[in-house]
Amino acid sequence: MNKTRTAALAALALALPLTAAACGGDDGGAVTLRYAFWDDNQRPALEAMIAAFNEDHPDIEVELEQNPWDDYWPGLDSQFAAENAPDVFWNHVSRFPTYADNGVLLPLTDHIEEDGIDPSVYPENLYASWQYEDDQYGLPKDWDSIGLVYRLDALEAAGIDPATVNDLEWNPVDGGTYVEFLQKLTVDANGNNALSPDFDPENVTQYGTAMASSTGQTDWWNYAVQNGCSLQTEAWGDYAIDAPECVEAIQFTADLYNRWHVAVPAESTNQPNGGVPGDYVVPGQAATTLDGSWMLSFYRDGLEPGSWAVADNPSGPAGSGTVINGLSNAVYAGTEHPDEAWELVSFLGSEEAQSIATGMGSVWPGVASLNQGFADYWAGEGIDVTGFQTAAEGTTIGYPLSMNDAAFGTAALDEFNQVWLGQKDAQAAAEAVVEIANAE
Amino acid sequence: MLAPSIIGFAVFLIAPIIVVVALSFYDWNLLSDPEFIGLENYRDLAGDDRALKSIGNTFYYVLLNIPAQTVLALALALALNAKIKARNAFRVIYVLPWMAMPVALGVIWRWVFDPAYGALNRFLDLFGVDGAAWLTDSAWAMPVIASVNVWQYTGYTMLFFLAGLQAIPAQLYEAADVDGASPAHRFFTITLPLLRPAMLFVLITSVIGSFQVFDTIHVMTAGGPAGSTATLNYQIYLESFTQRNAGYASMLAVILFAIIALITLAQVSFFRKRTTYDFS
Repeated sequence: MNKTRTAALAALALALPLTAAACGGDDGGAVTLRYAFWDDNQRPALEAMIAAFNEDHPDIEVELEQNPWDDYWPGLDSQFAAENAPDVFWNHVSRFPTYADNGVLLPLTDHIEEDGIDPSVYPENLYASWQYEDDQYGLPKDWDSIGLVYRLDALEAAGIDPATVNDLEWNPVDGGTYVEFLQKLTVDANGNNALSPDFDPENVTQYGTAMASSTGQTDWWNYAVQNGCSLQTEAWGDYAIDAPECVEAIQFTADLYNRWHVAVPAESTNQPNGGVPGDYVVPGQAATTLDGSWMLSFYRDGLEPGSWAVADNPSGPAGSGTVINGLSNAVYAGTEHPDEAWELVSFLGSEEAQSIATGMGSVWPGVASLNQGFADYWAGEGIDVTGFQTAAEGTTIGYPLSMNDAAFGTAALDEFNQVWLGQKDAQAAAEAVVEIANAE
Repeated sequence: MLAPSIIGFAVFLIAPIIVVVALSFYDWNLLSDPEFIGLENYRDLAGDDRALKSIGNTFYYVLLNIPAQTVLALALALALNAKIKARNAFRVIYVLPWMAMPVALGVIWRWVFDPAYGALNRFLDLFGVDGAAWLTDSAWAMPVIASVNVWQYTGYTMLFFLAGLQAIPAQLYEAADVDGASPAHRFFTITLPLLRPAMLFVLITSVIGSFQVFDTIHVMTAGGPAGSTATLNYQIYLESFTQRNAGYASMLAVILFAIIALITLAQVSFFRKRTTYDFS
């Protein structure tokens, strides 16, 4: 390490909260591990898994550090810079390439071999997504996909049979049955829905859908995939969202806001400062949304049992599909306790630990044999979650992989926020994003 | 005796400044070692429309913020310097916004300005007025942010004017009364000139504070829409912590420092002349 870095680190260390001082307790040879994550919905499952971990490892204390998604990554980056990062942390495929390439992740390949971990318990592509240049950098924690979450009371009021929700179709020309479905669910203050000639789009009391995503994963990516757009030329390749099938899907997303008036206005939902879809569905401002499987417990905790359900995603011209993704637990390369950190990661990746999470309905598991347990939990709650499994098939693609994720993410949010507001043309925005994202 | 404060000054102020200036000559992604690239960051600035626009945004914000805040604060100070009922209660009320957390206030103001569900547009609706999409309309977003900060800091600024007013000897006003001076005449020949030291302090601190505005913007618009509220300080944050360009962000910080230093120097030289009245 050179002098500049040392000086920079000294300065940054001062700017950071004194986390080291707060957790360096040395009580009788016990080790304290810091474990960082972003989704507070999953805290109860994490705490339960850590409690089980401590039964076999009473000498390893695990401290949870939670920051919401938008603050998690800047925080983690500055902790890497200060060489004071959490020992174990949730990793996301969008950040993984850059982290692995810069050596901040501990390779786990040797540990996996020594302990005889069987990778075949995980779906092959899920396990492989944490490989970089012949090394494995994490064990799958979960997988996720997107499904159509809806309120039964809203459908009932609109006279829509829930059995029809699995077969909705959209197209960019007249919107198809999906847009018609959303129009029926969009109701103004006088009780007229969006199909009525008297509909007043300025005074809507319930919208058909709510869309909000800081990445695109729960809004326009769905329509993109359903229209045959694959976001990138290939994994690790250039971003290709200026292709006609992508621009058409972006335009369709904008149409849901501005042409059909069936989505909660972008003025309220644009990220990073707007609400998330669930914030509009739970109080009844929106009847449906396409949301992630990791949000199920949010709806369970916010809505009455039996008042909501999950269906398959709508189909577009290219079929039904979405973007699937998974998280892993990773170990910081600079950890002072690599062996203990591995013990924790290894446990969190085990069937024993993940069955605790699926038994609480937290997230779809990394361990494939536990999928049924997760579905069973939700069936017990009266929710059929197989829509998320259906969503993982079809035209579904994996999360985009690129070293330029940061540039792409910022540019896309910035440009498409303007498209959702009706202030910019989809084609021009897509071209601007591609130019920035492929520049480096 | 001075050691603790000097150590604090060196560790928390001087060292980070030196590091930032040094880093501005490096390419650094926070994750691996910085790489020396000479003046490249400074050369790149010329072609960086976003950063240049953010400099323009910063001046726009300062111009919206400072005159309104200063005039309002002075007016409030004059009003609350007069012998009115419950003036201490009023003084406290006006300072309250400054005592609250800017981030918490930002969240609440964001709710107030929400176009569909916000209190402001609901209120305007009562009179049949269609409120704007305050925070997502690029024409409105910056004035809205500036007005929130004016609301927040006017009371605090008022305190310095109040202190300044109370330091003006009463005999000057008595003498002016004897000479039959009008209230306007008294204000422009006694009050304003003798407030010069307070004015200098207020302007320097509030101009510096305005150039460094961050939390209100972060919470209310995150620099949007379309970068219209991304001030230079916000651009530094974005470059450093979302794009991992810490070297480039350091260069922007040096530019911000240079701008503030020049403007502060200009203010000090403008206010150097002092007015004094000799009573002896």
